[in-house]
Amino acid sequence: MNATALNYIRFWGVRGSYPAPFGSHLRVGGNTSCIELRVDDHVLVCDGGSGIIPLGNYLMTLKDIKELTIILTHYHWDHISGLPFFVPAFVPGWKVNIYGPGNSQQEIERRISGQMVDPYFPVEVETWLADIHYLTADNSQLEYGPFKMETFNVHHPGSTFGYRIKVHDKTIVYASDNELKFIEKAIADRSDELDPRELQLIKAMQAEEWDKSIDSIKNAHVFIHDAQYTPEDYAKKRGWGHSCYIDTANFAMDANVKQLYLFHVDPNYNDTKIEELHRSTVKLIHERQSQMECHIAREGLIIDIDKL
Amino acid sequence: MGENVMTDKMPTIVVVDDSATSISLYQFSVEPLAVNFVGFKSSAEALPYLQEHRPDLLFLDIIMPGMDGLSLLRHLRSFANQKDTPVIMVTSKDYDQDRYVAKQLGAVEFLIKPLRFKEIRELVFRHVEVKFKQSN
Repeated sequence: MNATALNYIRFWGVRGSYPAPFGSHLRVGGNTSCIELRVDDHVLVCDGGSGIIPLGNYLMTLKDIKELTIILTHYHWDHISGLPFFVPAFVPGWKVNIYGPGNSQQEIERRISGQMVDPYFPVEVETWLADIHYLTADNSQLEYGPFKMETFNVHHPGSTFGYRIKVHDKTIVYASDNELKFIEKAIADRSDELDPRELQLIKAMQAEEWDKSIDSIKNAHVFIHDAQYTPEDYAKKRGWGHSCYIDTANFAMDANVKQLYLFHVDPNYNDTKIEELHRSTVKLIHERQSQMECHIAREGLIIDIDKL
Repeated sequence: MGENVMTDKMPTIVVVDDSATSISLYQFSVEPLAVNFVGFKSSAEALPYLQEHRPDLLFLDIIMPGMDGLSLLRHLRSFANQKDTPVIMVTSKDYDQDRYVAKQLGAVEFLIKPLRFKEIRELVFRHVEVKFKQSN
């Protein structure tokens, strides 16, 4: 281990839904979800969207690293579509550990390998010549080198995880796809029908659910979260499993997050629009007199973990 | 959780939901009915019970710490005693993908929170042969 080596988070893919390699989108970036955490020469990769392709090419240029762990939030294409082109998985001598939602290692393997079959892809996972290990969690917890991770279930179609990652003395929370405020809106829609006793219990249930969701991200140094929509677009796309950036910012402030990264941004939004969302979020933070920092998760952006 | 007085011959209603308040809501709803009621706050808590007992009706939340409700249902269907247990998913996750998976796993209903007391009772009457408690 090199004591002077940089321990960092690097964004390799920040888009939601599908790649957006358009000239108007390149300041933010066009690849789908992929983040690299490098600490003490251990590589932890969050999600395998198209951003994992350039990450794989980069890792192949390194001499000292031959192992990594990939943790997946879920199996929608924008989170796994880069895996068939992830070079280290095809190279003997590499070890690739993979974890994601599923009741067993076989279930995780089946879900990943399902996208690499004829006629959708020319080679199957059998051509992955690296030492591939599918991991299991122990009571929602797993460890890899200096990383201690805990999963939590989030609001998104299908079984989907968020990850609370502790490394050194820092906490990084990654929840790429999560629709906030869903239960609140469902309760509001029915509040006129409920009698006082029902309303009291349901409000208590809502508070309980909110406290639990806050606990998952509380006091995070870095919070990387779904900020896919404007309020106008969210009104049209409620129930699609993604959040309005304003809900994301309020959620983060309520949980005393130190740094929020607006992530999984809509592929229809160009750089100018995302920068407008960011300005609007900074204004909201100022109005709430919060100390939280807010950044756009941009492809290529590096965060020095030891300076958090 | 998991506590309740079990009376033979009465149908058993089991709820797995990480919200204690939500479990209370079910309990209040079925209180007038002649049923045994058992609540668990997580899949991990419920699994040992469900390995041994087949409830007459099982309400499952989806978003819970640890194993989520759909994963629990998938796991339960591998138990010989739970292959045809009537299961109702009650969740704040209103997504077609979850509805589809629940249906594939044999869930008889998929409903969105919040439910009213009378709606819960109606569900019990729809899927279980049950009577009101005798007043005396």
